[in-house]
Amino acid sequence: MEDTKKSQFRSALREVKNLPTLPGIIAKLTRMAEDPDTTTEQMGKVISKDHILAAKLLKLVNSAFYGFPQKISSLNSAIILLGFNVIKSLIISSSIFELMESQDVELWEHSLGCAVVCSVLAKRLDVSDPEEVSTAGLIHDIGKVAIKMELKQEFEILQQMVHDRQISMFDAEKELLGIDHAEVGGWLAKSWNLPTKLVEPIACHHNPLEAKDEQLSTSIIHFSDILIRGLGYGHGDDVWVPPLSKTAWQLLNLTQKDLDEIMDEVEEKLWDVKGFSLEIQAELESGMTTS
Amino acid sequence: MQAAEGMVLAKEVLTSEGRILCGKGTTLTTTIIERIRKMDISQITVEGHPVQVEGEKSLEQELRDIEKRFSQVKHVPPLMYIKKKIMQRKAASRKAP
Repeated sequence: MEDTKKSQFRSALREVKNLPTLPGIIAKLTRMAEDPDTTTEQMGKVISKDHILAAKLLKLVNSAFYGFPQKISSLNSAIILLGFNVIKSLIISSSIFELMESQDVELWEHSLGCAVVCSVLAKRLDVSDPEEVSTAGLIHDIGKVAIKMELKQEFEILQQMVHDRQISMFDAEKELLGIDHAEVGGWLAKSWNLPTKLVEPIACHHNPLEAKDEQLSTSIIHFSDILIRGLGYGHGDDVWVPPLSKTAWQLLNLTQKDLDEIMDEVEEKLWDVKGFSLEIQAELESGMTTS
Repeated sequence: MQAAEGMVLAKEVLTSEGRILCGKGTTLTTTIIERIRKMDISQITVEGHPVQVEGEKSLEQELRDIEKRFSQVKHVPPLMYIKKKIMQRKAASRKAP
């Protein structure tokens, strides 16, 4: 393929005209978080100004996906109980959730499942901010949504390639576009000013060796993607379990016993999430979404 | 009702008046099944996954799918371990205990 065409794809994807931007509230909340004088009440006020966002946030907090033991009914208690970084992750998740669930239910289930594995691994490996790792797992394939929305014709060709030649979407993208959804997702996350903790795992989830600052969370997302595909949550004809990075595997340092326990935990959590997913699908079908 | 001998009740079977006909943990025999049938009870809950649900893939198909998903990573030992475990779990979930 000639280079001019590749650079055309690149600039089209870099502009991502058709993708909605993340609400400005995230930038504002990030600034507030950095200020040690910010109070819970101030933060609650900012979030509650956006009624739809506040409602979605509480719905997500109380969903089986996060599985907090008690019902959380007010924003302030959510902020106190969960801490500010969790709330920020939740806002990012709830905004991107909407985009994904309306676009592609199968991809969404894959992402939700990946986030479940991420949360199990993050807790087990004692990562300092497990919520952020789950969020990265949830949005790791956002680049696929961008490709589908920006390059509609090419996306159909990609699907055909995956179907006819039994190759992965990742390989098809590299061949046809000269770029892949991980790289595109990385740009997108950067353009939304998401923290490196989210950008790197998204950009490097197929090649954790490229991660510079966030090797562990990138490795967690890399392996979660593999495990959830193994469990049958692929994407369309792209059912394949992708190759395992040696570096990531060494970093995670999991024994067979660990793997057995992880699979037990994941299976149990997936059962709950499946119900949550069906609920959302039913809402979508009946057109009762809150947006 | 697809009840068969040897299945174990996961929930008690109640008569229409709410009386317990058979307790949880009872192993079904032809006599018990006949009695349940005579009471006009059409549904019971048993342990495990002994009955094929309509629209559900057969175990053989599920195992073939797993084999296919892992076909490009056959040289990676940890992934082959995961594959083996996923297959075992699938098979176990379809069998009565």
